[in-house]
Amino acid sequence: MAMFRLKPIVTLLALSLCLAACTPVQPWERGHLAKPQMALDPYPLQSMLRAHNYGSREALSGGNAAQGGGCGCY
Amino acid sequence: MKLIKPYYLCLLPIIGNFRSRHPAKLALTHDSPACIVNSPLAALTAAALVLPGLLPNFAEAAQEDGVDFQYSHYQEGKRDIYGMVNHDHSFLTPTIASKLPQNLKPIEVDSVHGSGRVSLTECVKFAFNYTQDTWSGATPIGTAPVVSGVNRPTGSVDKSFAITQITGASPIIGQGAGMSSIFTNNNQSRIYQYVYDSVTKKYVPGDMNNQLVHVLSYASPETRKQGDFKLGYEWDEAVLDAGGGISIENDYESRFGNLGGRLDFNQKQTTVNWGLSYTNSDTFATLDPDALPFIDTSLYDNSSLKLVRINQFNEEVYREVPKQSQAPAGEVDSTYPLLGPTGRTRSSSILHGNRQDWGSQLGLTQVLNKNALLALDLGYTRSTGYQANPYKVVFVYSLPAKMDADTLYAVKGTAFLETRPAERNQLNWHIGYDHYLEPIEAALHFDYHFAHDDWGINAHTFEADWVQPLGADWAVTPRIRYYSQSKAHFYTTGVFTGEKFDSVNFPKYYSSDQRLSGFGALSGGVTVSKQFAKGISLETGFEYYTHQGGLKLGGGGEQAFADYDFWVANAALKINLDALNAGGGGHDGHTRHPHHSNAPAGIMFDHVLPKSGFMVAYRYLRSEQAGALLFGDQPVGIDRARAKGCGHKPCAVTPDFMAMNMHMLDLMAAPTDRLTLMLMPQWMDMDMTMTANPNARLTGGHSGHSSAHGHQTGGLGDLGLYALFKVLDQSNHSLILSLGGTAPTGAVDITLRKTGTTPVDNQPLHYGMQLGSGTWDFKPSLTYAGEAGPFVWGAQVTGTLRLEGRNESGFAFGDIIQGSMWGGYHWTNWLASTVRGVYTGQDRIHGAYPPSTAVDPTTGRRFVPQHVGPFDFPDNYGGQFVDLGLGLNVTIPDGAWVGNSLKFEWLQPVHTDYNGYQLDRDGGLSFTWSAGF
Repeated sequence: MAMFRLKPIVTLLALSLCLAACTPVQPWERGHLAKPQMALDPYPLQSMLRAHNYGSREALSGGNAAQGGGCGCY
Repeated sequence: MKLIKPYYLCLLPIIGNFRSRHPAKLALTHDSPACIVNSPLAALTAAALVLPGLLPNFAEAAQEDGVDFQYSHYQEGKRDIYGMVNHDHSFLTPTIASKLPQNLKPIEVDSVHGSGRVSLTECVKFAFNYTQDTWSGATPIGTAPVVSGVNRPTGSVDKSFAITQITGASPIIGQGAGMSSIFTNNNQSRIYQYVYDSVTKKYVPGDMNNQLVHVLSYASPETRKQGDFKLGYEWDEAVLDAGGGISIENDYESRFGNLGGRLDFNQKQTTVNWGLSYTNSDTFATLDPDALPFIDTSLYDNSSLKLVRINQFNEEVYREVPKQSQAPAGEVDSTYPLLGPTGRTRSSSILHGNRQDWGSQLGLTQVLNKNALLALDLGYTRSTGYQANPYKVVFVYSLPAKMDADTLYAVKGTAFLETRPAERNQLNWHIGYDHYLEPIEAALHFDYHFAHDDWGINAHTFEADWVQPLGADWAVTPRIRYYSQSKAHFYTTGVFTGEKFDSVNFPKYYSSDQRLSGFGALSGGVTVSKQFAKGISLETGFEYYTHQGGLKLGGGGEQAFADYDFWVANAALKINLDALNAGGGGHDGHTRHPHHSNAPAGIMFDHVLPKSGFMVAYRYLRSEQAGALLFGDQPVGIDRARAKGCGHKPCAVTPDFMAMNMHMLDLMAAPTDRLTLMLMPQWMDMDMTMTANPNARLTGGHSGHSSAHGHQTGGLGDLGLYALFKVLDQSNHSLILSLGGTAPTGAVDITLRKTGTTPVDNQPLHYGMQLGSGTWDFKPSLTYAGEAGPFVWGAQVTGTLRLEGRNESGFAFGDIIQGSMWGGYHWTNWLASTVRGVYTGQDRIHGAYPPSTAVDPTTGRRFVPQHVGPFDFPDNYGGQFVDLGLGLNVTIPDGAWVGNSLKFEWLQPVHTDYNGYQLDRDGGLSFTWSAGF
């Protein structure tokens, strides 16, 4: 497991800590965040399709068959 | 598989509760009872993004009740193929590496997807998905030097000696199949053509050319079907989900389960989510029978052949001796029909392998400020078992034991099944940032992924999209994506090794799969969406993608021979039942569902909508044929069917089973009370199995077939367009006239990959397996329906008239007339049963596929289809049929799905009188779901 370096994990942790320092956003201030275009994935149906296409065409982008999405052998 | 779909994290309900559209919800945010979560946003958020197996999709359960449909088409561009061309076709002049005309259809995939979400109780949510893909086309199976002649022009060469066609589907991957040796130097830095010198009568090095090419092979259509579900329990600040599913192909089956959860903290400004998943997949791939004699599978073989003395006269024959597969995972199981003193040809080889994947993922989503969100994810996947591709080979060249620096040596390539490590560990990181641009109400999404595995691949993905609302509930979203990966340490374009393939240089793992090469990919596209009132929205998208070795980050990617591109277009219809029930329907009380039909599931065109009404229905139809072969209405023995069913020659195959599935989306809208318009896109998929006639003599070096034999097709069918008129409307009686028909959007030119090792022609798949009629068809119908108390009844006449005598493939299906009468009884306010009698008459096919113009280069004669069965003859289509239908109609009385109707009908054949020789009918199932608004 030496392959997995710790550095990115540490960076991630550091980032999360910094997040705690973010300005609190009150519930009534979250109108913009609640808009459909601010959804983390505004088009989930399409994203699923795109993930499947990328996954069957690329080695590490999402699906070397492990997602139950089939062999994608073509 | 990638572990980390960042989006996962996101499944925050966080924001969901604050949708400004429902200010009342704000109050609930902090002290709401459990299960309020239910945010539209969260719903939108996560949805299906998730790959079914490894990454659980938490948010899905949080979605509102509803139904979605999506269709997409994936189309690859033709690849540039080079081969050695003898430009005057005299066989006297040397061949030159040239670009070949590409007449193999590139890969295309048609996918349909349907999903539904139901709240079982306030806190328990259930979601299910069904996806079906059908793909076909030419795909690379290996990589070789162009001078080895793996791609050759042949078949047709017109009078001007222009090449009009390259080899058929059968790959040239061995010397016996036409592949040439090559000359190379001691460090293989130079590759030379292997040419015959008529003066010295020896093979000598020709032109030097290091160019590599893909060996393409065409695959007949294949279909994958996947069903999965998720069950979720929701609290106000947490969600727990469990899900599972299965994906089935004819050579691969995958089962998966997952568990996931989400916790909200910090007044829902922070969300943590996690997921665990397990996938177990089996490969059972029949290796290409045409290529089999030229593929070395010895590493995988689970048996070997040994000469065994069988009597005192020292006579010897080959016997199969079991052995262990030496591959890291997987084994090849071969059948040897004739083992004699010399005979040892495999009739079939099946590669069996199993793989298991464990995935885990942890994510965090944080509200940064009132206009920005940040998502972070980390995922780890461990895969063990058979992870290679059973259809890809690597060429291995054996070099002499001693080589001088100044000499060129002739070597020949042998195709080996690729092999990959039986273990893979992957880590994925993701960071996503969403920003709201207040002045223009747009949202910018930016994502970066880094993935790393112990096969030596590092991959970077940068993605950005911009969601721009345009007013009137339209939104346009342009997006761009860049992906770059380094190659796997065992990726190779060819292996040079010692004389007997057993030298120390022989690698343990090797693959020429372009997915494991170094490359970059750039893609861009746009999504357009429109939200209608009443909770209905439409989405459509287009994306173009280009894969190029030259786009790899930092350079050093694969050569241009592996470059290709594709585009994908999709359209989706989303129906949110909660929004509809929340008053969006605009009607008072139950007027939302005033017009459901009382007819059985198999009946269409039997009702109209009130003015401004809208209805969505999904219809599914399955029919099966199996059992005896009939001539007219009489069963005939298989011998007679084989002898008489295929014209002048005996049949090479006869059908055992055929199934047709139709998925239809039925969209109805009423501009006035008297007129309703109907749009009906449909998707077909078909599956058949057949038995070879052991006595039929095929030419072309390919005798008979392996016993298990089948064909599949699938994709977009014909598009229906109708206008329904209310002719008579009394309280208990109605008469509806429907005029309209279908446009020929379904394919009628699907070809079957040809068999035989000599390059011949691809043969059109028989008429009944094509996806459409190919003609504009007029389909009028007249329907009477009546009711009195709990009793309902009705009658219908429909016709199908072909408006053209021939379609683009040279034939037209026969006209159809159908009459139905039915009666039904309402047992309760939600359940009714129906009985129906149906008569159908259909004419034979007119016209026929044109004969092939291809010439078999070995015989010089016209190509003659080898695979003929009764279904290849137009006279063996149509007939007269009587069926009995038994149906159940359910109308959901309350809840989010109130007024939705579900209908089932089984059609049992009562009488069958075929034209010619056809396989008996087994029955049909109709299912309809509909909701009116």
